[in-house]
Amino acid sequence: MSLDNQQQERRRPDWAALAIAALLMVVSVVIAWSTASHGAGASYARVGPTTFPYVIAVAFFGLSIWTVFEAFRGDFPAREKQEISPILWIIGGLAAQMLLLKAAGFSIATGLLFAATARAFGRGPLWKTIPIGIVLSFVVWIIFAKGLQLSLPAGPLEHLLF
Amino acid sequence: MKQFVLASIIAGALALPAAAADYKIMAPAAPGGGWDQTARSMQTALQDEKISGSVQVNNVPGAGGTIGLAQFVNQASGDPAQLIVGGYVMVGAILTNASPVTLDQVTPIARLTGEYEALVVPAASDIKDMAGLVAKLKADPGAVSWGGGSAGGTDHITAGLIAKAAGVDPTKVNYIAYSGGGEALAAILGGQVTVGISGYGEFAEQIKAGTLRIIGISSDAKVEGIDAPTFKEGGVDVSIQNWRMVAAAPGISAEQKAAVLADVEKMVTSASWTKILADKGWANTYLAGDDFAAQLKKDTESTAAILKDIGLVK
Amino acid sequence: MDTFGLLAQGLLTALEPMNMLYALIGVTLGTAVGVLPGIGPALTVALLLPVTYKLDPAGSLIMFAGIYYGGMYGGSTTSILLNTPGESASIVTALEGNKMARAGRGGPALATAAIGSFVAGLIATIGLAFIAPTVVKMALSFGPAEYFALMILAFMTVSAAFGDSTLRGLTALFIGLALGLIGIDLQTGQARLAFGIPDLLDGVEVTTLAVALFAVGEAMSVAASKGGDSTIQAIKGSVWMTREDWSRSWKPWLRGTAIGFPIGAMPAGGAEIGTFLSYSVEKNLAKKPEEFGHGAIEGVAGPEAANNASAAGTLVPLLTLGLPTTATAAIMLAGFQQFGLQPGPLLFATNPQLVWGLIASLLVANLMLLVLNLPLIGVWVRLLTIPLPWLYAGILLFATLGTIGANPSTFELGMLLAFGLLGYGLRRFGYPIAPVVVGLILGPMAEQQLRRALAISQGDPSILLGSPIAVILLLLAATAVLLPLYLRARGRGKVLAQLGANED
Repeated sequence: MSLDNQQQERRRPDWAALAIAALLMVVSVVIAWSTASHGAGASYARVGPTTFPYVIAVAFFGLSIWTVFEAFRGDFPAREKQEISPILWIIGGLAAQMLLLKAAGFSIATGLLFAATARAFGRGPLWKTIPIGIVLSFVVWIIFAKGLQLSLPAGPLEHLLF
Repeated sequence: MKQFVLASIIAGALALPAAAADYKIMAPAAPGGGWDQTARSMQTALQDEKISGSVQVNNVPGAGGTIGLAQFVNQASGDPAQLIVGGYVMVGAILTNASPVTLDQVTPIARLTGEYEALVVPAASDIKDMAGLVAKLKADPGAVSWGGGSAGGTDHITAGLIAKAAGVDPTKVNYIAYSGGGEALAAILGGQVTVGISGYGEFAEQIKAGTLRIIGISSDAKVEGIDAPTFKEGGVDVSIQNWRMVAAAPGISAEQKAAVLADVEKMVTSASWTKILADKGWANTYLAGDDFAAQLKKDTESTAAILKDIGLVK
Repeated sequence: MDTFGLLAQGLLTALEPMNMLYALIGVTLGTAVGVLPGIGPALTVALLLPVTYKLDPAGSLIMFAGIYYGGMYGGSTTSILLNTPGESASIVTALEGNKMARAGRGGPALATAAIGSFVAGLIATIGLAFIAPTVVKMALSFGPAEYFALMILAFMTVSAAFGDSTLRGLTALFIGLALGLIGIDLQTGQARLAFGIPDLLDGVEVTTLAVALFAVGEAMSVAASKGGDSTIQAIKGSVWMTREDWSRSWKPWLRGTAIGFPIGAMPAGGAEIGTFLSYSVEKNLAKKPEEFGHGAIEGVAGPEAANNASAAGTLVPLLTLGLPTTATAAIMLAGFQQFGLQPGPLLFATNPQLVWGLIASLLVANLMLLVLNLPLIGVWVRLLTIPLPWLYAGILLFATLGTIGANPSTFELGMLLAFGLLGYGLRRFGYPIAPVVVGLILGPMAEQQLRRALAISQGDPSILLGSPIAVILLLLAATAVLLPLYLRARGRGKVLAQLGANED
């Protein structure tokens, strides 16, 4: 353990960890600022609705400083290289589902999410996986919306058959 | 997967056949709650009595119903087939959440059911009646802790109204909010709080068993089957009802409104509805059309005033 | 008729072939819906309750019990196999259960969960039948000060899931606590950290956060590392529990039951707290504590038993006092009304047939669940042999299905995405996930209880130490935090020597 530390101390500071420290500081300020903007609301408890938020804001402040120290000491675990494109595919899939859910209905929106996730794991092509996803989602929609009365949004595809 | 298929076959066989929707009822709450149960009971009654071929219920939970209300006003405008269920709690939530959409923007159809607020103390308490409570309240308002539902809800509003009517500063009410009916009731039974305030139904069984003593009910006149003086009889001029209602979309024509009213009237007088009310223990406080609209206006004004007095709305 | 006679009569009715079939259907339907992440037993029962209306009272009562148990067990299955907790009470199960599943031990994990649930359900239901009045008296003596002490004790369990860095564990916990602040404050009705967004007024849904952090975050993490270290081995060794698994499981089952039942009976206890405490107890008592975090079977057996026992525990105040203390109990109350049951202090006296019928139904449904699920474990485990792309595509499909089914709102899906990214970020930088969720659950509870206690005492903090129960709970919590520190300080020489030896 001590050996690792010595090696890392010679490295430059961990910039990602410093970014996290900055983020924690931002959270601290946002909580404190948002809490300060509304009144304390006097009560018999003396511990009002603003007490906990302030405590947590102070804690974030402290954690931010602590993180800066650890960033310089190199205490964060080593990270292997990761690819960014699979993450973008998953984000894209979730965003597409979110935006299309009301308009296109559950099956089409979720089918796109299915295909995008498969693509993130290197499975394609999309013209094959999108229909697979839509058909699968439609079967799921029939089971849960029609069979078990879950309220899942219906779109053109669902209206076509029901 | 096998289970899903099996489940779908069984449930599919039990589910009603799907047809074109005559009504779409929005329950602005999660499945299981009071508004959801009201919406689903309407669904059952409307379908069983063949008033409507098919009724769909959709849930839009959140923020005391104001999220559902906002969505309803935006999306259902001018559509006579869409209804929304709501209640008195919504009136308060609209004010405390500073909701941009209010009940003025929907077409009130009818009040369906209602429940009165009951004020109780543990059986061992030295408070015997309303006068005893008022005396304690006047001596030291902070020493009387009130257990009930969330802040700004019907229970809190009633506590504030009682204090105000008794001549005590409503901001001095030491109100302890609990998240669910059961939690509040446990605190009252355990003697953690001085008095409890909530819908009568929450306390009914305890009152019958003698573990709680009821010292007042929020109705205008004595209620059949409830052996308790009204608040007014106890010398505190407060009456309040926690009602549930159904409303139609904004921007519908007078004929369309009349048609919805007729359907709801038919439903309320049906045998199915009577049976549902009896099963669920809901009181029928049906009030329709303009009478209900007037009552709604009155409730909104008095609620706004008391919420300001308690200090929840600026 | 005496207690035994009534129970026997109830059991005879419940064991009729037709009623057994209803129990089986109920368990199947309950599992099918309960397996969806984000849809817990409460929503499952609410959605499926109408199905039971069409049967005679005995049949609908028993199907109802089946749905209830099925809904609870469904959540554990996804926790273990897919690292996607179906409900807040099975979050802890995911910690060890999923690690086991990935190492090819999904079979034993599912089995210990199922049998543990059965054992706990059996003991707790019998407890419900015979000692309910005593338990309820104890539960009612808990006021805000005692609950606050209990929450403090539960907080110490978070440190059991901290992993190797105190800084990162604490940061994760405070992220959860901060998320817990969002929404309308129960005591004053003020909106906190909602930034004027109405969708935030009700706060962050625990299941949305859990599903996003566990399932979505993990999908991103695995995809980004191209499967690197996350090779899944579906089956290694026996699908069934080995002799060692049994001997490591039975004590946690019993301890979990002993922890879960009384906490479930407390009106503000909640099933999660029992699972947290059980996890921490098992970690501290384990012969091989180093296995925790890498798939220790005790960490599945204990919390699962606690979860089921506390579910039976919630029936104690419900049946003896008519107190619905959880969302599930509130729905059950609605369900009872259709059978003409009006839960309350007089229920056992006025309606003994129905009460004992219900208790018998619960016992039979519990048994049916075991009968249905043990043979299916082999099938469930095979889910993990699905190639990664399809497996994760399916996980996200079902994760979003659960979220949409509970609340079909664009905003909720947006939160799922945002928290998914948070989950990915936490994983990337070595932050533990569980403390975030634990903070979200415990933070608001602890805050509300503290403020209630202080409001009742009109600001006098001595109320927090005002009862023996509170003092004992706080002392336990202090011991749990300080004892390991002391032992570490004393044993430092030894540990350092060991480290030195390792480096050679």
